[in-house]
Amino acid sequence: MKIETWLFGTGIFFFIPVAVVYGFMTNWSEWVGILGMLLVGGLAGMIGSYLGVTAKRVGMRPEDREDAEIHEGAGEQGHFSPWSWWPLVLGLACATGFLGLAVGWWILFIGAGIALVALVGWVFEYSRGDHAH
Amino acid sequence: MVSVGTVVWLSSELMFFAGLFAMYFSLRAASGEMWAEETAKLNFPFALVNTIVLVASSFTCQMGVFAAERLQPRRGGGAFDFLRWGMIEWFLLTFLMGAFFVAGQATEYAMLVSEHVSLSTNAYGSAFYMTTGFHGLHVIGGLVAFLFIIGRGYAAKRFGHFEATSAIVTSYYWHFVDVVWIGLFLVIYVLK
Repeated sequence: MKIETWLFGTGIFFFIPVAVVYGFMTNWSEWVGILGMLLVGGLAGMIGSYLGVTAKRVGMRPEDREDAEIHEGAGEQGHFSPWSWWPLVLGLACATGFLGLAVGWWILFIGAGIALVALVGWVFEYSRGDHAH
Repeated sequence: MVSVGTVVWLSSELMFFAGLFAMYFSLRAASGEMWAEETAKLNFPFALVNTIVLVASSFTCQMGVFAAERLQPRRGGGAFDFLRWGMIEWFLLTFLMGAFFVAGQATEYAMLVSEHVSLSTNAYGSAFYMTTGFHGLHVIGGLVAFLFIIGRGYAAKRFGHFEATSAIVTSYYWHFVDVVWIGLFLVIYVLK
């Protein structure tokens, strides 16, 4: 995973020096740009260092080798929901909430109620009923 | 897979807070006198205690993650046998500490409003409440997430990697919110 690490991580070596140069050029008076660029460096560093730590933990993967075969990557990749109605319910809750902001605050509380139902439904979808484990 | 997505999303959250920090510093650079006057009303010891509780909650959260990685949802000993606590006990403690922080923030807001610093008073009020307020909303979101993860822990008959993964990504979020608070605390209460 070295390539992924560097792909994101090298951003640090660009954005942080650029932020310092920008700081000098604006006499350290324009903070939106300085902080913005510094924290873009932080964004790159965050993803880069996470990928670096993960690379240490998982070791060499088939993806890292030129001569790997597709079947070497077979096996459980993670938990993926085949389909679900709950994102739609949550979307409706958000739409209701925004309607509340536009029309009247009282509608927002209805949206919050639907959101609660949607979140509980989504989070526990694979923990109850047929999927209880 | 879930954890990569969480980290990428958290890095975008960093940019959200970058906007808030930038707003704070811009307003501060534009009106230094107002800052000197208004920051004098802040209660530093109170905020420090609140900060310590929030930082400590990151450690209890991490203990919960270690328990989740052992695939141990509940405690194996007595209620105060910390070393044998499971994920649920550690996360409940983390929840209480996070709730303490939010309650402290609410108290602090009330104290500041009584000293005539509100969202609409002046630029300082806006900057203070927007930055700490958005952070507070993130903490509340984290508290809700902890309740869901604890719920999953109780719902699972066999606590497995599905439950552990969601516990781990929730801890990423919590640590992130904690680090952002350390930044906010240093900027608002120490640097002033």
